[in-house]
Amino acid sequence: MNSIQFAQTLVNGIILGGVLSLVALGFSIVWGIMHVVNLAHGAFIVLGSYITYTLYTSLGIDPFLGLPLTMITLFVVGYATERWIIHWVIRAPLMAKFFITFGIGMLLENLILQVWKADVRSVTTPYSGASLAIGGVNIPLVKLAALALSILMVIVFHLFLTRTRQGNAIRSTGMDLDAARLTGVKVAPIYALTFGLSTMLAGAAGSLVSMTTSFTPDAGARYTVYAFLVSVLGGLGNVPAVLAGGMIIALIQVFVGFYAPALKDAVSFVLLVVLLLLRPQGLFGKPFTSGKAE
Amino acid sequence: MTRGDKILYIVCGLLFAAMALLPLFGASGFLLRTITLALMYAVMALAWNFIGGYTGYSAFGNVAFFGIGATVTGVMMTKMRWDFAPAVLLGGVICSLLSFLIGPALLRLRGHYFAVATLGIANAAREIVAGWDDVTGGGIGLNLPLNTDKDFYTLIYYIFLMLTILSAVITYLISRNKLGFGWLAIRENEEGAKALGIDATLYKTLAWVLACFIVGITGGIYAYYNTAISPEAIFNPLYSTTPILITLLGGTGTVVGPILGAMILLPLSTWLLFNFPGIQPALLGIIIILTIIFLPRGLYEYLSGRRKLTLAALLKNPRDNQA
Repeated sequence: MNSIQFAQTLVNGIILGGVLSLVALGFSIVWGIMHVVNLAHGAFIVLGSYITYTLYTSLGIDPFLGLPLTMITLFVVGYATERWIIHWVIRAPLMAKFFITFGIGMLLENLILQVWKADVRSVTTPYSGASLAIGGVNIPLVKLAALALSILMVIVFHLFLTRTRQGNAIRSTGMDLDAARLTGVKVAPIYALTFGLSTMLAGAAGSLVSMTTSFTPDAGARYTVYAFLVSVLGGLGNVPAVLAGGMIIALIQVFVGFYAPALKDAVSFVLLVVLLLLRPQGLFGKPFTSGKAE
Repeated sequence: MTRGDKILYIVCGLLFAAMALLPLFGASGFLLRTITLALMYAVMALAWNFIGGYTGYSAFGNVAFFGIGATVTGVMMTKMRWDFAPAVLLGGVICSLLSFLIGPALLRLRGHYFAVATLGIANAAREIVAGWDDVTGGGIGLNLPLNTDKDFYTLIYYIFLMLTILSAVITYLISRNKLGFGWLAIRENEEGAKALGIDATLYKTLAWVLACFIVGITGGIYAYYNTAISPEAIFNPLYSTTPILITLLGGTGTVVGPILGAMILLPLSTWLLFNFPGIQPALLGIIIILTIIFLPRGLYEYLSGRRKLTLAALLKNPRDNQA
């Protein structure tokens, strides 16, 4: 690996890391706050990709302008999903919560397949090929914009969680349910809001990845797995940790991928298991759920 | 044991007897294949039940051992020209050794963390098998020797039937034994169980190793049955999730729950596939959602007569679990 290859791989890694952070952010928040491992998260991301695709191909709305529309749609879908389905099992045992989201994922994936069919799609704009070359390192502009928007959204979401009343209500619900209730937080709508925001971020991630990679209705499972890796590595319910986790996973992916492409996922998963054994709260996570390994 | 339990055991016994006689009455290949798969999932559900149902550890990556069992059987039969039986047994032994080695460390994790760690192991195992070209055939996989005996599929059917009965008997014996009570104690309150002098690590590891051994054997038999194995196929996450769903539907921590669950869910899913081909996954998804909302503890408590199956009782279940 010479210096230009190194720089190019590093740039690829950072771009991938920004997107992976956004892919994992909603997943990590729902897990940390609601104690629900959302196996449908990837399916919501794919739904975001398809909505962006339809807005662009049918209505001619530029994917970057369509981003807010996709996010609003996904927020509504997520809010309704929580209110009508997940709401009923929020205090059920772990496996029940796992499988309710598994069922939602199956349903959603099949609905996407029915509506958009199984063809491989991608969002290709006139400026998709444009790129920036700095000293031999090639940076596609669309990916650069996706990176900037991902990091912007992660930061805005962090500010929302830490600086606003609603954000504090969400965080306090995750820390101690009963104490939050005592201080007047209405838990049921807060859960719905949390889930809606999480799918909204999934929609944003889907919208951004639709511009850089092609997608099919069954692409979701892979995103869910990456969300797992990033959330566990970083730590749950903690926004900066998700960003750090995303960057680390992405750098492992690109650098291991450079030398041994077949092993890049194996290395990530072995790292996941080892990390869980040594530091279950993640690299940067404080024991957010008061140490209760639930 | 209540009267309802006895009736359920008799129902299961009759079901097994009927299945044992089925091939003698010239059942169609399609029917046999459907029941063979249902029995295969019943075995894996009974295996998951040891660790997930009785011990209460949410193993979410049992497909790791299904795939490893299948791979070991495949490699032994194609590269070493071993016979089927020793190859499958070796697969089971390797799975138990691996699970024994990682068990004590892994089982320190609880709840979500254990589930995610097992998921990670399943993914790591798939990537390693797919990447190890020289031995496992890499991403393409292996083609096992084809068995052209006309009774081959009937033989596999009987093997899975025997394995189901054997696993059910083992479950029954353990559930009335110190080991079974120890598992239940760990599930309900691990600290309390330790205080009673139960060696929690040993008990949990035993449940885990037993589950992994059975799943490994099942994977090996499936490899021979299906002849072509690729990492994508044998590490399909559905081999982790379907057995858990079956157990949740039937009733976790019971002997008959996984069996009845498999005999309901698998035929139902096949029936849906034939009648509503395109939207079968969506319908299955809806059934899963409704089952988990309205039958959170599975069918067992109603079938055994512990609770009356009324509309009011079903509607009360979700109210207990809402926010």
